[in-house]
Amino acid sequence: MITLAKVRSVTAAASSDADLISAHAAGDPYAFAELVKRHRDRMWAVALRTLRDPEEAADALQEAFISAFRAAASFRAESQVTTWLHRIVVNACLDRMRRRQTRPTVPLPEAGPGEPVAPRDAMSDRETSLMVQQALMELPEEQRAPIVLVDVEGYSVAETAKLLGIAEGTVKSRCARGRAKLAKVLGHLRNRIADANVPADGVNVQEQRQWEGR
Amino acid sequence: MTGMERVPMGPPWSVDLIADLHAGVLPPEVAAQLRPRVEADAEAAEILWALDATLEDLHALPPIPMPADVAARIDAALAAEARPVAPVVSLDEARKRRNRRLGLGSGVLVAAAAAFGIVFAVAPGGSDQSTPPAAQDSPKPTSAAQAEPPLAVKESELGAAVGEVLKAQNYGPLETPDRLAGCLQGGGITSSGKPLGISPINLEGRDAVMAILPAGLGQYRLVVLDPNTCGPDKPEGVLEDETIKPR
Repeated sequence: MITLAKVRSVTAAASSDADLISAHAAGDPYAFAELVKRHRDRMWAVALRTLRDPEEAADALQEAFISAFRAAASFRAESQVTTWLHRIVVNACLDRMRRRQTRPTVPLPEAGPGEPVAPRDAMSDRETSLMVQQALMELPEEQRAPIVLVDVEGYSVAETAKLLGIAEGTVKSRCARGRAKLAKVLGHLRNRIADANVPADGVNVQEQRQWEGR
Repeated sequence: MTGMERVPMGPPWSVDLIADLHAGVLPPEVAAQLRPRVEADAEAAEILWALDATLEDLHALPPIPMPADVAARIDAALAAEARPVAPVVSLDEARKRRNRRLGLGSGVLVAAAAAFGIVFAVAPGGSDQSTPPAAQDSPKPTSAAQAEPPLAVKESELGAAVGEVLKAQNYGPLETPDRLAGCLQGGGITSSGKPLGISPINLEGRDAVMAILPAGLGQYRLVVLDPNTCGPDKPEGVLEDETIKPR
């Protein structure tokens, strides 16, 4: 006979994320774990794609979930639970990225003249995914985070700007830079065009900065 | 917006400029003038197509499920965070329990105190103020824990040991996760991943091992095994098997 069961509060009836947060705030010891279970795959994808390192991603998530666990009792339903939880996870990842900023960025591979980086039509979907994933991992961190959130996870530019704490124009601009690099690496841009037209990052910087703050 | 932004000359235009147009970075009046000119130029239109194809690739990236070991680690961390501090008992009952346990060894007293989250304010006779109360010690690593007497547990109060067991990953006499898996299999108990907590216990004088396993949707399974008899095809080695459900 389990006497502990008698002092446990309700989780079973809780169905929505908001219900689970309320149950957690009311002392249900299982509600928060259930909430995490619902969202952990998506959070894991964000953490792994942002941080690149599985061990760091796991550390960041654990830190984020514990922090959310402790803060959840004071959560107010002004924002969606998923957005709130996502913000905590993204912040934990960004903190880690900032702490390791001295780490050099892996340079993008150079394509041979006249050849795309990889012959696209010969690839299975899985191989394509791996290649895209790999290309994404090689972007500078400041471009990778907005691309992961906007282009992979489907967050709006406005939501991403809030999550990352930067202007919407900066989100758009960093996405634009990152997509241009990815287009080249993934072989969508013919190298003749890319070589002739993809300038060093410094080109257009003045106009860029003028437009970014919008 | 000043209304006087310069529309970049071209063709040709840089890939970065076309990427800005594609991403909505440019001011609307600049974009409105530039877009038809870009689309009319074969090379620039090809860059727009390449950016669209890149977006499709990114949208099509499959989800990445969290690996089981990471999920188990996070479950365990949250379970420890949610660990019940003390079951609700009446003062009379607490006094009776305390009096019963005072006759037992100090190790059991410490273990019971930790399980109930109780800090004893009165030091045992002979100890001085500089000695920290034993119950305030932080959880010890597995190797040290093995040297301590196992947690004393009553059959009628298994739940009271949950808090302490959740803090441990000590397989005790079972030694390895494989042995545990064999013993669970013997009882027809399926569980994936690491237990949330596992510890050797003394079940009313009998050596045993208590494991707490996740059992889906806010449920936990509390299993007590006899390390001397449990194993695959030996259901008699499972001494207790209870699912702890929310009310």
